[in-house]
Amino acid sequence: MKVLRTIFLILLGLYFFVPLLAMARFAFQSVPVVLLTPEKLLEGWSISGLIEVFGNPEFQRATIVSLQLMVLAIVLTLVLLLPLAALVEIRAPQLRTLMTAITLLPWVVPPVALVVGVAATFRNTVPWFLASPYSLVPFYVLWALPFSYRALDAGLRSIGARTLYEAARVMGASTFTIIVRVLVPNMIGAIIAASVLTAALVLGEFAFAALLLKETLPTFMAEFQRSEPRAGMALALAVMLLTALIIGIGVRALRKRGMDLQAAGV
Amino acid sequence: MRRRFDTATVIVAVPFLAFVGLFLFLPVIGLAIKAFTPGGSFGFSAMQRAIEGSYRTAFINSLALAATSAILGGLLGLLLALSLRSLQRPKWLRSTVDSWSAVAAQLGGIPLAFAFIAAIGTQGVITKVLGLAGFDLPDSGFSLSEFWGLVLVYLYFQIPLMFLVMMPAVGGLKNTWAEAASIMGASPGRYWRSVALPLLVPSFLGGLLLLFVNSFAAYATAYVLNPGAQIVPLQIRFLLQGNVITGEQDLAYAIVLWTISLLLASLLLIAILQRRTAKWAAT
Repeated sequence: MKVLRTIFLILLGLYFFVPLLAMARFAFQSVPVVLLTPEKLLEGWSISGLIEVFGNPEFQRATIVSLQLMVLAIVLTLVLLLPLAALVEIRAPQLRTLMTAITLLPWVVPPVALVVGVAATFRNTVPWFLASPYSLVPFYVLWALPFSYRALDAGLRSIGARTLYEAARVMGASTFTIIVRVLVPNMIGAIIAASVLTAALVLGEFAFAALLLKETLPTFMAEFQRSEPRAGMALALAVMLLTALIIGIGVRALRKRGMDLQAAGV
Repeated sequence: MRRRFDTATVIVAVPFLAFVGLFLFLPVIGLAIKAFTPGGSFGFSAMQRAIEGSYRTAFINSLALAATSAILGGLLGLLLALSLRSLQRPKWLRSTVDSWSAVAAQLGGIPLAFAFIAAIGTQGVITKVLGLAGFDLPDSGFSLSEFWGLVLVYLYFQIPLMFLVMMPAVGGLKNTWAEAASIMGASPGRYWRSVALPLLVPSFLGGLLLLFVNSFAAYATAYVLNPGAQIVPLQIRFLLQGNVITGEQDLAYAIVLWTISLLLASLLLIAILQRRTAKWAAT
């Protein structure tokens, strides 16, 4: 039994690790696979490809767009959801089932499906809206909802928001003061979790941006790899590591507060 | 009875509902209307054509891909959670798997497809190593752009996702319950059947749905591995980009409406199953 378990864990570890290793080798070693032999394993490593990408103006534009989308999506998520989640929890718990249902809905309308509906409605009525890359922001907020709302909701429950609310209320604080000065400082963990999940979504989303012909980091990556396979691979690895880093920071911040980054559940 | 909500809740709920209405409901309703009015007048021809011929094949392929990767990923993810539960010794292992799962569950898309191409594509390192060991991978019928290739890549985010879903439930199984069961004379099999399983099933079902929707909708990975694959997301792209042909747009609306209905139906099905099993666990 124990041997089987160890074998299982090792195999799974290899499955997760080897593709990344292969990716790093392809990205940073300028020896084609055909010519690769055990003796040549240490030859020709360099990170010049990646450095060159950083100087590419198109890459810089796409990165700036993606970073702006990320920040805007996080801000919009928190502005829309934080007060609402807090008030539902402390003042209108009967709305909780409804909120859970609504925030799950974006799940059944994936990007590649919604893009068709968006093209059908917005393109005819408000064509200027889709012209700007910032039009992606509301949709990214929407797809992050199942995760971001759950993260905030879990945070509110874990701090016992209603008790805090009632205590502050008795002492004469207004609802606004309670949210800003009592709940938010206690919810940093949940806020980080919601932000991190939104950020990861923005950095990875491809279908919607590509089909609306927007240049973001993922769409640039797909295009770039076709002309520059090696540098494209290096860039993809860098983006992967960046995403991992962002999520890793979120997990650490949560663990410090005794929480876990959980997946959205039904 | 009339429910009254206080002003503050209404003030923050209205922008949110307007937001969801504008960016989710409006486009979906818009495309639903267009799907049922092909060529400008009411009719079912587009909805009909969307599940015929090559489009039917795409739906079947997508369903098979989603179901296979959900079930395999679900079982492996559950197994991972269970095998870590009783593992005490290397202390770092548990927290590493925890963090790594949170990361890998989000690592779909373009970079993931590249990683697998570098590993087991026709020019991949593993392909080369296997070739040196005498096993010709491309010759064996395996290809990253085919069904099992896509399943193998999808598992990369499916397994960690299921692990994240199952961890709270698996962690909730108390060792004392197994001891209590064995003292009362239950075999380990009986303990799993009557105690552990009923407690795990609701989370497992929810996880399966998450995985199913996740892989049915996955676009970027499949797009890189095989842009011409006969699966629904790529068919939608094909129709959307080739919309110069009149009438093809109606078809895209219909395919999307079928997709949304399908995913919504699976969401409802799982919710019902979960409620049932929750009762079963309570009895």
